[in-house]
Amino acid sequence: MEEIIMDVIESTIETESKEYKENVVHYGKLVHDLKEKIALVSKGGGDDKIRLHKERGKMLARERIEALLDPDTPFMEFNHLAAFNMFENKAPCAGIITGIGIVHGREVVIVANDATVTGGTYYPITVKKHLRAQEIATENNLPCIYLVDSGGAFLPMQDEVFPDREHFGRIFYNQARMSSLSIPQIAVVMGSCTAGGAYVPAMSDETVIVKGTGTIFLGGPPLVKAATGEEVSSEDLGGADVHCRESGVSDHYAHNDEEALRFARNIVENLNRPQKTYLDVKEPREPAYDIKEIYGIIPKDPRRPFDVHEIIARIVDASEFHEFKELYGPTLVCGFARIMGYPVGILANNGVLFSESALKGTHFIEMAAQRKIPLVFLQNITGFMVGRTYEAGGIAKDGAKMVTAVTCARVPKFTVIIGGSFGAGNYGMCGRAYEPRQLWMWPNARISVMGGEQAANVLLTVKKDQLWRKGKELTKEEEKAITAPILKKYEVEGNPYYSTARIWDDGVIDPVDTRLVLGLGISAALNAPIPEWKPGVFRM
Amino acid sequence: MFINYEHGNHVYNLTIERRDSFFFIIYDNTEYKVQAEEVKPGHLKIRLGDKVIKSVITKGDKEKYVFVDGNVFKVKNVELTASKKKKGKEQGSLDSPISGTIVKVMVKKDDPVKKGDVLLVIEAMKMEYLIRAPSDGTVKKVHFKEKDQIEIGQRTVDLSEP
Repeated sequence: MEEIIMDVIESTIETESKEYKENVVHYGKLVHDLKEKIALVSKGGGDDKIRLHKERGKMLARERIEALLDPDTPFMEFNHLAAFNMFENKAPCAGIITGIGIVHGREVVIVANDATVTGGTYYPITVKKHLRAQEIATENNLPCIYLVDSGGAFLPMQDEVFPDREHFGRIFYNQARMSSLSIPQIAVVMGSCTAGGAYVPAMSDETVIVKGTGTIFLGGPPLVKAATGEEVSSEDLGGADVHCRESGVSDHYAHNDEEALRFARNIVENLNRPQKTYLDVKEPREPAYDIKEIYGIIPKDPRRPFDVHEIIARIVDASEFHEFKELYGPTLVCGFARIMGYPVGILANNGVLFSESALKGTHFIEMAAQRKIPLVFLQNITGFMVGRTYEAGGIAKDGAKMVTAVTCARVPKFTVIIGGSFGAGNYGMCGRAYEPRQLWMWPNARISVMGGEQAANVLLTVKKDQLWRKGKELTKEEEKAITAPILKKYEVEGNPYYSTARIWDDGVIDPVDTRLVLGLGISAALNAPIPEWKPGVFRM
Repeated sequence: MFINYEHGNHVYNLTIERRDSFFFIIYDNTEYKVQAEEVKPGHLKIRLGDKVIKSVITKGDKEKYVFVDGNVFKVKNVELTASKKKKGKEQGSLDSPISGTIVKVMVKKDDPVKKGDVLLVIEAMKMEYLIRAPSDGTVKKVHFKEKDQIEIGQRTVDLSEP
């Protein structure tokens, strides 16, 4: 009987303290900065391009998504800041909008080209973002709806877009693979679909095209003229009439964007999707503490540790947390809780990982995988402990056990980087390579193979040793000339916006939204069955 | 006082009155004499005649839940015993939480300190760990100086009672 209720985490945060208030001000700036960046890129190609787009009678990509989704339902957008500060900032959102939304009560993945951004053409990061959305659809068994309005590959960068395994061709490979796995592929052609782009509707199970604006062809009018001398208009070459009446490339004939999106909704309505996977879901309850207090808990100085119980208390339902092995390996906090009513196993860093913490994490992951409970990793890790004592104690093999468990656990995994993400700690705590269903970053996060100072010192020591063998030494200035560029490089590249621009994560989020994105992520994950636990060999 | 609680779709109204160590509860014109003891926070042992009932109470958003014999009752508009709470962390130990380097010593022998004051700072694995005074007192001995190496679990500072 007594085990039925879970313990409520008692917060010891003093919201009146000077430190707390300074942290709130500091974090407020980080969140403000995030929101400004999001607002900036959400404008797509800018006012002039938007005006031109609308003059053609077309809806904007974001308006299309809104019209497609059930009214008043959330849209979980991925990689909102993709390509940020890349390509001279000419590709806001990488020219494509992707995310999970709800149509007729079921989650679908939406991939919408933004033609106001370089004609919706594919930069290298655009391809990566499109492929990531398809990966999310595959893992979670979600139908895909492509709102196509794209000129195909961005020709000046063809070598980074076309030839490799994870390049343009993979989009169509994924469509065929997903279709074979009974994951419906639906295309709505609302603009050009040129060259490679033509295969998106052609490879789809069901396709809608808009008369007047939608066109599908392997070679556009200029290419046809160059190749054969034939002169033909876009509409005559690959418009709605050609494809719905003659070629059979498209199935449904829409007169405008609104009608095309209505057809797409009708298609989803008739998909006959299987029931979602069972999880023991309870009524969601708000945490006992204000989630906004997280702003005051995260220290202004990233070198200062904070108690992760305080974060868990503000993310989980009713702040109830059933902690596992509380007194053993306390630098990794493990326990069961609920988020938006869904049961979850949480692993959260509370300091450096020692052998004990890694063993505890491994044990905990095994349990969650056996019980088919989704896992949430709250990552704030400066690494596994180093030093002779720890190496001799076998920290490498204990870390390896945790990495094996993280890899082999096929329950839905979600990672939120709430602080640092350094070195092997990133692996043990389900970094990108370990296929969490989603990986989010808070704006205070940092990610790199080691800290900048450590990297600079390692390289400096190597250099000094080389010179020492030749009987030479470095002056202070020479030392600084070696370390300064390393420090600068790590500072730039460790930034969450550098990471998110390159799609090393699924987005930077305001900590206040953490519960929501995790809840939506788990809900979407239940569209796929949870595989059995089948671990690899643990080095003992 | 009057309270009502909800279970299923039915709302039960009752009056409750405390006399000495007993609660007298009137429900549906019948009076029940009950003894209740909070064995630990949120856990109640209730004696009704010769029956002993153990129950656990937990707080929801706007209501409380009472767990008895595998059943859950949702109770509204009632002040019950506080839910079981758990401490976030243990307050200030004077022992080093990690092996690292002393980067700053803020106190010397005979300094008076207040609870929560930072005594010294240890750097390890890219982080700075603050050793804070667990209570008011006076510094009796500082075991390390700046740039010293410290091992996990080593005592940093001795404090006397104020």
